[in-house]
Amino acid sequence: MATRHVVIGGGTAGMNAIRTIREEEAARSEITLVSAEKPYSRMVLPYYLDRSIAESHVFTATPRVLADWGVKAHLGRRVTALDAKANACTLDDGTTLEYDDCLIATGSSAVRAPVPGADGRGVHSFWTLDEARAVLAEIAPGSHVVMVGAGFIAFTILNSILALGAKLTIVEMEPRILPRMIDDAGATLVEGWLAKHGVAIRTGARLATIEDAKGRKRLRFAAGGDIVCDVVIMATGIKTNLEWLKGSGVTINRGVIVDDHLRSSVPNVYAAGDIAEGRDLITGEPAVHAIEPTAQEHGRVAGANMAGKDVRYRGSLIINIVEVCHLDVASFGAWDEAKAEAASGVKPDRPAYRKLLWRGDRLTGAIILGPSSDIWTTNDVGMLKGLVQSGVSLARFKAYLKRNPFDIKPAFIASKTTSALLPETILGRPSKAPGNTPVAV
Amino acid sequence: MLATATNVLRIHPEKCTGCLRCELACSYMQTGTFHPAKSVIRVSPFEGHTSYAPYTCTQCAEGWCMTACPVGAITINAAGAKDVLDDTCVGCKLCTIACPYGTMFYDPDTRKAFKCNLCGGAPACAEACPTAAITYEGTATEDWLGEFARVRSARVLAGVR
Repeated sequence: MATRHVVIGGGTAGMNAIRTIREEEAARSEITLVSAEKPYSRMVLPYYLDRSIAESHVFTATPRVLADWGVKAHLGRRVTALDAKANACTLDDGTTLEYDDCLIATGSSAVRAPVPGADGRGVHSFWTLDEARAVLAEIAPGSHVVMVGAGFIAFTILNSILALGAKLTIVEMEPRILPRMIDDAGATLVEGWLAKHGVAIRTGARLATIEDAKGRKRLRFAAGGDIVCDVVIMATGIKTNLEWLKGSGVTINRGVIVDDHLRSSVPNVYAAGDIAEGRDLITGEPAVHAIEPTAQEHGRVAGANMAGKDVRYRGSLIINIVEVCHLDVASFGAWDEAKAEAASGVKPDRPAYRKLLWRGDRLTGAIILGPSSDIWTTNDVGMLKGLVQSGVSLARFKAYLKRNPFDIKPAFIASKTTSALLPETILGRPSKAPGNTPVAV
Repeated sequence: MLATATNVLRIHPEKCTGCLRCELACSYMQTGTFHPAKSVIRVSPFEGHTSYAPYTCTQCAEGWCMTACPVGAITINAAGAKDVLDDTCVGCKLCTIACPYGTMFYDPDTRKAFKCNLCGGAPACAEACPTAAITYEGTATEDWLGEFARVRSARVLAGVR
């Protein structure tokens, strides 16, 4: 069993791996963490941005906690090269770390639209804590903020920007918002909802340049009028942080290819989270799922295997939720599979929307929209996840659900989905509470 | 009934009359208001309201809500229930999509997630149920409603509401 673990990356995947190694190992091992940033949760940055939590709240492990866990941490450092043959990696300060096994969990970073002015003053990404600090420092009540890009990341901070008293305009190159999270019908409802809440949306807008304009910013487009604003946030996508792995000997496609134990092509090198290309639970195909729950599950499975356990991972399920002005928007699994058999229902006045996608008798994808104050929406959110995750046969209910897509609950219960789900665990044992990680003595 | 750390809420669906006392008791314990929409035990109608059964968190072994929480705001309390720490929860809703049972909720007033925490070991729903359709006992958790609901879905599926 490995005794020297090196974990590269202090995000969700890396920190879950470290905790799981400590939970699962039979004998105390050495763990070294290399992380470019202090470990924090990206998921909660929107709540730091709207000032509902203090900055200290975002950290997932303080230096004290890392010490308690017996982790030797190189914070503020990056690994510049991995030599899988030599079982060693090199840091940007010249340090060489040898390992018995290592975890690649360097995640992804924000990319900006390649237009002139995209790196200018007053233009921000919103991905890291530093970037969140910079955005927070610039938005004041009455500021006009333009968000370039109408994807999931943009929508996670939409409420926060409004809560700060700013005026918000969203510009999107594609003809509609949330193109990788919900379908056209769902997007139409969300666009209408946002318009009602005072958010301006301009779709099909190709940004040409961002210029300084007397202390403000001017956005010019390929067509249509300019927009002048105070702050520009570029939410134009993310890229996997793979560059440093060139020449490492680890097989890379869209991400680091991993097997069902989260092992790369090099058996003592694991990968987890945004950077890993592992099995998609629904399609069975390799996929990069750059979402928090996948990073968490990947990290725990990799950590258990690094600790000497034999844990097979079934694959990750795409799940996303975002709340915009008290409207919940969520999607699961293969919600965008064009060939799937689909049924949907809409209640435009609430507004509420359900779309169910099928392969045979099982649900393989779903989209749900509904008011966040409606407890039945929340109920259905979880149950749709359970139906997609468990893949229970809904044969008896299929025709009924196609006619009544809002009536999820009886189908969930009567199909004995709970029976199918109860034995499921990620690590083959009950999970431990976050505070129960064994600490150094 | 003596409470132990391994007690679970056992549902006897055939005894439920649909009186909703459990929802009132639960919402009062959880949020201080008699507000069924803030109850984490939810009574479901079957067969066009000819029968009813309460449905709530099974305190599953994985604890999908707990492992999904990015800030460690869900823990296991003394009663063995997964429990939300209000001061730590930021209201990101990740737990609501991670829970595959539909038993993780979000309160827009407090902007926090909330769920069944077994009232810390003295569940108000079980105490309030006048027909003992909800009991708190030392047994393994199960799918208490599946078979009951399967039998009671024939008419709905045949198009008789």
